Amino acid sequence: MIKARHNIVLLSATAWLLLVAVGCGPTPSASFRPNMVEATKQRLTVDQERQVATVLLAMFGTPDDPVALPETGLDESKLRLAAGPVRSDIVGRKNGLYREHCAHCHGVTGDALGPTAAFLNPYPRDYRPGVFKFKSTERADKPTHADLVRVLHNGIAGTSMPSFALLPEIQVDALAEYVKYLTIRGETELALMRAFFELDDDAGGKLPETREFLVYETLTPAAEKWRAAADAEIQVPEMPSDIDLVASIAKGKELFYGDKANCVKCHGVTGLGDGQANDYDDWNKAIVEVEKEVKSGAAKAREASTAGMSPDELAEHRAQLAWLEKFHGVLDGDALAPRTIPPRNLRHGIYRGGRRPLDLYYRIHAGINGAPMPAAKGTVPPEDIWHIVNYVRSLPYELDGELGADRPMVARDRF
Amino acid sequence: MQACSTNSRRCVWLAAFVVLTSGCMSERVESPTADVDAAKQLRVVLASTTAAGGGAAAAASGTGWGTLKGRFVFAGDPGAPKPLNADKDMEVCSKAGMKLLDRSLLVDPSSKGLANVVVFARKTSRVKEATPPQTPVVFDQKQCEFLSPVLAARVGQPVDVKNSDPIGHNTNIAGTAFNQLIPSGQGTVYKPESETGMPTMVTCNIHPWMKAYAVFRKDGYVAVSAADGSFTIPDLPAGEPLELQVWHERATGPNGALGLDKPELKWTPKGRFQIKIEADEVKDVGTLEVPASAIGT
Repeated sequence: MIKARHNIVLLSATAWLLLVAVGCGPTPSASFRPNMVEATKQRLTVDQERQVATVLLAMFGTPDDPVALPETGLDESKLRLAAGPVRSDIVGRKNGLYREHCAHCHGVTGDALGPTAAFLNPYPRDYRPGVFKFKSTERADKPTHADLVRVLHNGIAGTSMPSFALLPEIQVDALAEYVKYLTIRGETELALMRAFFELDDDAGGKLPETREFLVYETLTPAAEKWRAAADAEIQVPEMPSDIDLVASIAKGKELFYGDKANCVKCHGVTGLGDGQANDYDDWNKAIVEVEKEVKSGAAKAREASTAGMSPDELAEHRAQLAWLEKFHGVLDGDALAPRTIPPRNLRHGIYRGGRRPLDLYYRIHAGINGAPMPAAKGTVPPEDIWHIVNYVRSLPYELDGELGADRPMVARDRF
Repeated sequence: MQACSTNSRRCVWLAAFVVLTSGCMSERVESPTADVDAAKQLRVVLASTTAAGGGAAAAASGTGWGTLKGRFVFAGDPGAPKPLNADKDMEVCSKAGMKLLDRSLLVDPSSKGLANVVVFARKTSRVKEATPPQTPVVFDQKQCEFLSPVLAARVGQPVDVKNSDPIGHNTNIAGTAFNQLIPSGQGTVYKPESETGMPTMVTCNIHPWMKAYAVFRKDGYVAVSAADGSFTIPDLPAGEPLELQVWHERATGPNGALGLDKPELKWTPKGRFQIKIEADEVKDVGTLEVPASAIGT
């Protein structure tokens, strides 16, 4: 008995000693992870992947030493406040804010592959495609700087995104700038990886390393949209101050269930978000699509018989198998298991993009970029959008009886 | 544990083995690292303020206009189309009680023509009609199906997105600003703002099985093969080399590129071929046979 215990102590001590002695080597400095899903999807060669990494290093620097070309419109001093390891400078000013507050979910690269990402539902936002949901601009436009600051300030209700309202304004501002930096970097990376397909056949599979191509054709289109966002705010006609709320809610209900606005199709007859619910958002759909491609490719490769193949065909077949195997590994390590996007349960009174009537107006008017929610503008006039806003805001409190002047809502009705 | 309690030395080796083989290994696919010296040199290029050189647009070297035509046929057995997973609004979303069918590989039984192959000019030096036509392209949906499996339009040309169903739809063109509710019997006009490159997917999120593709080109030199597989692109710049890009929804090439074995047209695995048309010529590239191996599942 004593001997057995002695053995266990010896075993633990040895294991511990070995762990300390072997360790994991020195911690490497933080680096940006290439967008391996896109690189593999575009069938880039190792040399091509390296060219993209080199161009990005020249254009954007490293996580510890970010660089911003004037064309990005980014403020490098703000980026430096947010970038790098967590530390304080000589006057006690905090640096490395992104890694302190954001990187554990959104990842050092902004690819939403931080160590905690897989445990969250919904997953954190992947900045690289440059798509943001909660903003005051039209569907395809970028958010304004104020929109990003608002999200940081309020957090996103109903998700794991917390509020950073306790941080000084200058830090929130620096983080918003850094998110833009990661986004422009990610969009540039995507553009570069996709540009290989567009190359002429005589280009030798190498992107032109000219200012013309890299800055004017690749970087500027992504950066320009951020600049334009400030002027792209949706003009919202004010809700009439003398609006009859009971009538407006009734009208909104009619629209909600009617064919014109058609909210019921996804948000459900009950408003619980139980309508059309097996769709994906753009980030997850991208993974679903490549998974399908890999699966069907693997099935086809298995069926193929190598017996009658010419040497050329055999080489092609082997290359295809290698590509499929690589893609399999990339999906394992660089993508999270895709999830469907449930339409919002409107009975909770939790609104991710903000609970102001104006926020709901933006969502209905422009739809939600990246999500299935379509825009109502154009087919639903502004006053009707306000009616829907009023109805949606009444949904968490809608009881079996109708609310009205004869039956004012009291606090206990809410529960 | 039996091994541990009887022989402590074996036990130590076991522990060592476990520690050394687990832990620090990264499971992610290796990614190449940047070339630091090359990046430094590039930074000089990026920082230079010299004016931009000439654009990448091809220089015009010919005159006049010509027409390109051809026909795609499928050399294989397309099999019976699978029914789609349509499960909502069934009183509208079925053709006289029949399930909607997958249209991703439409082959005409008699002529073997392959429909919905997209052909477009990659770069053109000049365009016959300088401004996009203002006659709208109609993009309608009926019985929970987009009536045109491929929508081709010129950038700036109005697209009349309609809904002829008694129920509401939404039309979501991936990669563009457009995702709009289209109420029953109504429509809205969309003007594409930029080129799509390869065709992009169009869906209805209310009825997720509804699928089509959209391709927008600045010069409007784009054609979609008809039910018999034939296509025609008129008014192409004549007297100069042209490169055309070919796409099919289920083609196995990169991004849906349709690669064919046609050395006389310098057809590449990226689905591109080259021709030169003389002024006022109608160039017929003939019957283009698409082998079953070029089409995936």
